[in-house]
Order: sequence, then C-alpha cells, then structure tokens
Amino acid sequence: MQIANLGLQSQNQKNSKDVVIVDGKRTPFAKAGAQLAKIHPAELGRHALKELISSLNLNTSEIDEVIVGNTGNPVDAVNISRVVALRAGIPQQTSAYTVHRNCASALESLSHGFEKIRSGSMNVIAAGGTENMSQMPVLLPDKFQNLFSKLFAAKGPGQALPLLWQLLKMDLKSIKALLTSNQKDEYFPVISVMKGLTDPFVGINMGQTAEILAKEFSISRKEQDEFALRSHQLAAKAASDKKLQDEISAYSIPTDYKLSMIEDSGPRANQSMEALTKLKPFFDKQTGTITAGNACPITDGAAMMMLMSREKAEALGYKPLAKIRGYGFAGLEPERMGLGPVYSTPVALKRSGLNMSDIGLVELNEAFAAQVLACQKAFDSDEFATKKLGLTQKVGELKSEILNVNGGAIAVGHPVGATGTRLVLTLAKEMKRRSVQFGLATLCIGGGQGGAMIIENEN
Amino acid sequence: MTQQQGIRIVTSSASSDIGIVELDMVGEKINKFNEAMLVRFKDVVEELKKSSYKAIIFTSKKNKIFVAGADIDEIKKLKTADEFNKAVSVGQNLFNAIEDLPMPTIAAISGACAGGGCEFVLACDYRIASDDKSTRIGLPETKLGIIPGFGGCVRLPRVVGLQAALDIILQGKLVDAKKAYKIGLIDSCVHQNILESFTLDFAKDIIKKGAKKRSKQFVANGLVNKFLESFVGRPIVFSQAKKGVLSATKGHYPAPIKAIEVISKTYDSSDRKNSMDIERNAFCEVAVTDISKNLIHVFDLTEMVKRQTGISKEAENKGAKAKPVTHIGILGAGTMGGGVAYVAADKGIDSRMKDLNHEALGRGLKHARDLWSKEVKKKRITAYDLEQKMSLVTGTTDFSGFKKMEVVVEAIVEDMEIKKKVIRQTAGEMKSEGIIVTNTSSLSVNEMESGHPNPQNFAGMHFFNPVHKMPLVEVIRGKSSSDETIATVFELAKKMGKMPVVVRDGPGFLVNRLLLPYLGEAAFLAEEGMKVETVDRAYTHDFGMPMGPFELMDEIGLDVCVKVLKIFKESFGDRIEMSKVLKNLDSSGRQGRKNLKGFYLYDESGKRGEVDQTCYEAFGLNSPSNPLSNQECIERGIFAMINECSLALYQDKIVDTPHEVDLAMIMGTGFPPFRGGLLKYADKVGIKYIVDQLKIYHSKGHNRMKPTDLLIKMSEIGKGFY
Repeated sequence: MQIANLGLQSQNQKNSKDVVIVDGKRTPFAKAGAQLAKIHPAELGRHALKELISSLNLNTSEIDEVIVGNTGNPVDAVNISRVVALRAGIPQQTSAYTVHRNCASALESLSHGFEKIRSGSMNVIAAGGTENMSQMPVLLPDKFQNLFSKLFAAKGPGQALPLLWQLLKMDLKSIKALLTSNQKDEYFPVISVMKGLTDPFVGINMGQTAEILAKEFSISRKEQDEFALRSHQLAAKAASDKKLQDEISAYSIPTDYKLSMIEDSGPRANQSMEALTKLKPFFDKQTGTITAGNACPITDGAAMMMLMSREKAEALGYKPLAKIRGYGFAGLEPERMGLGPVYSTPVALKRSGLNMSDIGLVELNEAFAAQVLACQKAFDSDEFATKKLGLTQKVGELKSEILNVNGGAIAVGHPVGATGTRLVLTLAKEMKRRSVQFGLATLCIGGGQGGAMIIENEN
Repeated sequence: MTQQQGIRIVTSSASSDIGIVELDMVGEKINKFNEAMLVRFKDVVEELKKSSYKAIIFTSKKNKIFVAGADIDEIKKLKTADEFNKAVSVGQNLFNAIEDLPMPTIAAISGACAGGGCEFVLACDYRIASDDKSTRIGLPETKLGIIPGFGGCVRLPRVVGLQAALDIILQGKLVDAKKAYKIGLIDSCVHQNILESFTLDFAKDIIKKGAKKRSKQFVANGLVNKFLESFVGRPIVFSQAKKGVLSATKGHYPAPIKAIEVISKTYDSSDRKNSMDIERNAFCEVAVTDISKNLIHVFDLTEMVKRQTGISKEAENKGAKAKPVTHIGILGAGTMGGGVAYVAADKGIDSRMKDLNHEALGRGLKHARDLWSKEVKKKRITAYDLEQKMSLVTGTTDFSGFKKMEVVVEAIVEDMEIKKKVIRQTAGEMKSEGIIVTNTSSLSVNEMESGHPNPQNFAGMHFFNPVHKMPLVEVIRGKSSSDETIATVFELAKKMGKMPVVVRDGPGFLVNRLLLPYLGEAAFLAEEGMKVETVDRAYTHDFGMPMGPFELMDEIGLDVCVKVLKIFKESFGDRIEMSKVLKNLDSSGRQGRKNLKGFYLYDESGKRGEVDQTCYEAFGLNSPSNPLSNQECIERGIFAMINECSLALYQDKIVDTPHEVDLAMIMGTGFPPFRGGLLKYADKVGIKYIVDQLKIYHSKGHNRMKPTDLLIKMSEIGKGFY
C-alpha cells in the first residue's frame, strides 16, 4: 500500500466547522533525571492545563473534553488525562481520556480534538500531552514475577520460606548480571525506557534506525553534529530573546519550591563542534555516527492546547492563534521510522488542499539529526516520492531557513508524549511573529509511522 | 402538632417483634434533649417496658442529626446547684431506665450524636452508625466547662476503655464513625443507605439468639493496655491525664479535672446509683461556676456568627446577599498571602497568588505544602488530599486568571501609595464586579479605597498571623463598601473556616487597637524594672493568656509594634505613650522572632528559648528587680485594653456590641475563653473597680492610664458593658 491510496479526502469540507487553536501552554522541558525527575506526569500536565486556563480566564465548565497524550502509562494513573483534568479543576462531569501513538501521542490528541470539533459534536477541547521519562520504571525480570505471584499466594511460613530462599538466590544472580552489566542476562532488570525505545517488531533501538538512515542517505557525522549545534544555537537564541516565555509557564518545583524553572534546561548557548566531535557513537560503537550529542535527550515535560470551534472562540471573545487545516498519519518500515514525516506530510497537505511550496514554516521533530537530514533529502527527491510514496513527483523542498527556526528536540528535548503539542504550539507562535500563512508540524513515530499537522495563521 | 409526636413508637413492618422509636422533635430541624423531650421520653420508655417487643431500635428522623445534645438555652436558665441537680437527675434516671429495659436496645446513629445524645446511645445495648461524614459521636461537655452528667462519665469508659474515654471527655472530642468503630464505641459502621435494613437484620438476629441484653465491657488488647486498665495501672493513667490537662490549661479549667475525678471514683464500680450520684454532684459543682457560664457565653458568640451575614437585616431585606466565591487571588505570597492561600484552598477555593518573582511565589507554595504535609503525617488527610489541595494553589507573576476571580486579597507591603497603585492596577485586570479586599493591619481602609475605581467593591479583610491558626478575620467596612461586598467577604471568611467580625475603619481596627496599648504597657512594666519572664508568666499562668505580652511582641515584630504605636499616637494623642524600651528599639537592632533577636532567645529555626537576659541592657534598662505585684502587672495591661475599648465601642463605634469585642479578642488574641471575653471580664470585675484602679495608676504619673469619661460615667451609673 502506498500513501496515494490513503484516505485523502479534504478536511475542509463545506459542512465542517473551523477548528482554531485559541492558545497553548507548556511546562519548561528538563532532561530526564534532572529538575523535573520527581514530578509526576499528571502534575506536569496539570500545571500546563491550569496555567492555560488561567491565561485564558476560561470558565472550566466550557470545556467539553480533555484529551492527553502519554506513552509511559504511569501505573498509578493509567488514564492520566482524567487525573490531569481533575487536578486542573475541570468539572467532574467532563470526560477525559488518554491517547497513545508513541512519539506522536500529543499530535494524536490534537487530531482527536480537531475531528470532534470539526464534526460539530464538541466545541471546546483541551488537548495536549505529558510525559515523565525519568519515572518510567525499572521492572523485575519475568522470573521474579512468577516467584512473586507464588509468594503472594503462599499460606504460612512453610510455603513462604522456600520461596524466599529462592528469591535470595535469584537476587544474587541479578546482582551478578548487574555487576557484569550484561543486559541480555535474564536476571537483568528491565529498564522500561530503553525497552520502550526498542522497536517491538524488528527488535532494534531507535538510535539504530537512525544509523540506518545515516548510512542509506550518506549523512556524515560532521553534518549531524553541525545540525545539532544549529539546534542548540537557535534554541539558546530563542530563549535569550525571550521568544518562548509566551508558551512556557514557569514552574516552581515541589516539594521545596526553591527552584523555579522559567525556561527549558536543554539548550546550551556554549555548545561547540569541538565538544560534539569528542562524543563517542552510542548505538554502533564501530561504524556509527549517532551520539548523545546529535540525538535528542530523554526528557520530562507537558504541553496543553485549547481547541475551539471558531464560533465558540468568537462567542467567548478570544482571538485565536491559528486554524487547523488538516493532519495526516502514515506508516512505513519500522526500521526506517525516522522518515515518517516524509510519508505523513503529503497526506496532511492533500487533506489541507495545499502544496509544500505553500508552507512558510516547519517544525520537524529532531529525534536524531541524521533522521531530520534524511527527511530533508527525501522531501526533495523525485525518486523517493515515486518509489516509496507512490507519488508522481517529490513532496517538495524543505528549506533549512524555515526549518526549526527556534531549535528543536536535540536542544529542547523530546518528552515523547508531549512533543506533538509542543511542535504545533511553537510553530503557531512563530507563525504569528513572522506573519507566515501556513505552517507544518511533523514528526517521526517509533514503530514506523509519521504524523503531520498543518495550521493556518489567524489574523 | 403535639410533643407526643416528638418521639414516636412504631412497630417495624419487617417484624412485629421489633419496636422502632423515632426521634423527631416538633418544630425543630434537630433533635435535642430539653425538658419536654425528656418528659416525653420517660413516657415512651414506660410504654416500651410494658410492650411485647423483643428488641427496640432508636433512630432519628432528622437530616444529619441524631441527637445534638442537651438544650443549651435551658442549661443557661439554671442557676443553683439544686436546679442543676434536679435537671440532671431527670436525664440520669431516664437513661438508667433505658438501660434497664427488659429487651435489647439498638441505637441506629446517623448524624451528630453529641453530649446527651451520646450518653443516650451509651445506655443502649448496641450502637450501629452510618459512615456518613455527618456522623460525629462524642462528649463535648468539658468545652462548655461542665462534665457529661447523664451517665457519660460512667458509661463511656466502660464501653471504650479508660484511655479512649479520657481522650474524648477531657478534650470534649467528637469522633467520626470510623474512629468510633475502631475504639469500640459502636458495634458496626455501615453505609447510610443500608443503616435501616442492616439494623433491622441485626435486631432480628439478636431476637433469634434469644433477645439477650448485654452490657458491653471493654477488654484491653495487648499487655501494656491490659496493664493500664488494671487496678495497678489505672492510677498512672489518671495521674498522666491530670498532668496533661494541667499543663494545657494551667489550671484554669476545672471541668476536665472534675471528669477525671469522677471517672477514677466510678470506673469498674458495680454500684450504679452511687456512681451516678458522684457524677451528678460533680456536674453541679462545675456547672454553677462562672467559668462554665463564660464558656457557654463564648459558645453562644460563635453560634451567633454562624447565623450572621455581616450586614443589617434591612440590607438583607433589600436583597443584598453574598455572591458565591470559587476563585480568589492573593497579591503577595508572603507569610500572610501564603497563609490566606492555604486556608482558602484547604476549603476548596481556587487560590492564585501573584508576586513579583518566582522565589517569592515558591515560598508561598512551600508554606501551604508544609502545612498540609503535617496534616498527612498526623493522618488527618491523605497524600491524595494533599495533591488535590495543592492543585488549588498556583502562583503567577502576571495577572493571568484574574478575570475569573470574585475576590482578590491584597497582602503586599504596608505602604498606602503602593497599595493604592496596585489596587487600581488589579481592579483593571478583574471583571467589573470583582471585589478587592486589603489585609492591611495599620492603614486606613477609607483612605485606601480611593485606589479602587469602584470603591463599593472594596473593603478590608484582616487576617491574623499565623493565618492557619488564628480564627478571627476582621471584615472592615469602608465608607463606600456595598452591602453585597461586605456580605460576600463575610461569607468567604466563614467558608474559609474563620470567625468574621465586621468592624468600621479606624487605627488598628478593633483587635490591634486594644492589643497595642496592652503590649505598650508591658514595655512600661519592663522599664519600671519588671522581669520579662515574670510579666509573661503572670499573664499566662495567672490570667490565662496563651502567650505573654513580650512573647507576643516578639512574634508580631518589635518594629511593627513601634510602627503601629506611632500611627496610633498621631490619632489618639496622649493616650498613647511609648516606653523607653520601644524608643530604643532601633539602636537595639531587635525585631523579635523574625531576626531571631528580641526579648527572648531564638535558635536558628526560629524556635523560642529562654528570655534573653541581655535584652534589658540592649533597651537601655537597669537590671530588673521585680518591684511590682503580679496583680498590678495584669491589671495595668488588661485595664488599658478595657479603657481603650470604651472609646472604640461607644465613641468610634468600631463595632456595635460588646459581644463582637469579646468574640474578636478571644479569636484574635487568644484572650482566655474561660473569662468569657474582655468585656465579660470587665463586667465581672466591676467597672467601678476598674476606674478606681486606673485613677490610681494615673495618679502615679501614667498619663495614658487616665480613665475615659465614658468609663467613668459607666461606673457612676453602675452600668456594665453587657
């Protein structure tokens, strides 16, 4: 199946309602294990949503539904959207649900909101995403699980003691596995964030998928590092120009509240090629080019948006940021998931009734520098378009001048379940600044998919 | 309707063996035991005795009330020990008769079951309660200066054991159904909706098992508890309990001590008549005291606030009423601002603090979280509650969210011009009907209102520090404040769990106006050679203040005291004099607890230690020699307040009634409740005596002690404040 065969009907039919982005807010993003490590993702989501509601002075009973993207599924809040909603003071009668489409979960939530408002079934939807990758748990290996279920069912010390003895022996094996850092050992604990970043279909890590693209598209280590440097420099400049203050809600960190984050902690103004060059390849020690420096860090953060039908926004007296024109998702080989944007963008363009040349600004998520650069090449390739996409010509050139002009995930970070909304939010705000009419937010999705959303500036 | 209908006997439709007694007091929303109810109840019990029922269920037909207790209005009418004796006998005999009914009795409790209500269910064989939040069971009598007199002192320890019983009786506690079940006060705790069916099944079951009576006897669990309940261990429990009460009350509250005495004499006794006699006599002893009368007076004052709306009846009739408040803003996340956010959010109000920077906001957020964390540790709330409450407190450096707020509390720096400017700016960010209140303690609300474009939406809302502990809120009615504004702020204060008192504008409003002359007087006492600890101890131990004046000055901040006194001096002239201590404050560098240097020593965490013996020198005083009597020390401070109050009440009409003064002083300064309040105390001592003493002190060269003309006139015509 090729993308030309996907459902490509226009998402701007006569009877469909205009869906506008009234505004959005996000938490500052922090590298996993750092400032936000101990903050529950529901709390991060609460902060973004509550501050959004405050900045809009919106009566919460106007909100018809809350949709939150999340991939980590914290065990104590599996439908995390509901927790976010209630903690943010949304009335109990208002429904809330969580969506999961890996890296595009927070684009999925926006597209759900878009569809529900477009069809006229709802008027106001709070949509976004939240993720705390620091809190993705370390799991006990299966062997322990079996033992524990026996232990919980054990009656009396007669049954329990031999099992406890067994547990002690298994613990020792586990310690041995840890000491030898043999992750393949069946007694080695499962680090779920690493497991999550491994493709369940082909069994390779996301970084390895980027290695494949680097090689297939002949992207050098230097090109990647230069792109990473650009990301840091642009992000640092955006921060020092106070461009992001409008989308980031400062967060005082519990429980001592001594530290208040007012901006993302990732961007480094003093990042240098020298420092980047020194880093060793992470996924392929011998021939690899992907390093911790030219890949996005695992990150904690949340972003929320308020979507409304145009009539409702006008009735409530809001001046929206942008109108959603359309979105698209498409699949590809899991081991080349980084090219997802090239597959999903033409779908979104078609549904929006636009061409790539109409797009004045792009946010393409920087999972890996190699993957972004590969996308750029594929966007501009007739051969790729005909062979892989089943199109007659290339999707269209993706000029560097309009790409991630405020830096990207390599600097800012990629809290998987929240990124989709962050891209659209950053895009919409920058489109306003530049008076660009059409903008594209797109990302690659672990498991071999791409997602894209096209928005139009509201004047 | 007749009183007969107040208590009805109906035969259960489920079984003719079961009689259900429905308590449903005529013409009242609640059930309480007044004379008529008790008389009717006696007849009911007679009837039950003769009936063929094999089990009796007692239940209430009132919403969320089982039996609220004895009728306090009737208690107030009783004067002599004889009258009390008679009244108490009626209740004791009635509950004895219930205990003696031939068939088993079951109380099906839902809602408040307090005092006499609790004593009634203790006389039943079984108790089953609904787990509804409204279910509260206990014996609050000691809070009113009396002891349980309808057999509560005798029966509660028998049912729940000594330790749990002392805990409830000495502190006048009510417990929820869960706790009641845990300590064995009730036999089952069930959902409200199945209380009736469960109780019926329970009764049927008892009948099936032979409809036997039981008299629950507490059995201790564990060695330590067994020992403490035993003949040998008991004296330890009693002496510990007594010690605890004495250290908490400094001997000013005799009722809990009396209760211990009764329990120690009657516990384990099988002679019911003798036990009841002991309890009744003890009850009469404490019930006739002024202390009990004063505590009942204070109870009345708090009940008065519950009924008030903060505005006049005429205004209410014209339709003025409180607007609902769900979102408030707080300008300034400092000690007061953070405290206000905490108490509001604790009651479910969305509270958004605005300050200049995130560090300040962070401190406000931390203040709230720390207080709730303590509650979690004490198991008063759960960790989930904490997160939910914390979600209601947010901070901002801009005005986002202000359009949603019904009320904004201004708690920024005490500077008239800055306040006016900020109030104007804030009003521009709120919806037009939004209300702004100032938490100023020393500035004029009437002057400040010019900062607000719609001054009818402006008033004062003065909280006391620490906000989460001090129940009083002075609602200051400015010259332009509308009735709706005052009613809204008054209701908001109540929603926040506070006791509001409406006051008119004037330096220090009510409480600080009275308090500052008292504190100033203490400074004079030090100047005249009194030891700080002697004066503080006289006020706390002899008079019953929770804190001595020097401790309090340290808490408030010595610089603040001086600042306020200076403001007073401008308005009040000679009535305000400043002792050397306060004049030398600046050079001493002492500000009290906030800079860890005051009359007392403080450790780094701000914990108060001993008196700092170097403070005398720092304030330019000689070594203290304690030349004055404790009585003089107390009188000079307290009478200074009474003197000033005559002007505040009658000349400046800061408040309308002595009731409000007494409530405000108790709730705002911790004035000892057992004294009934400042003016109740004044009346008790006698205005003439006060005037005479003031004249003596005045003649010794203390100009400020000159009795006011109003007070002199009162003494001449023999009128009191009440």
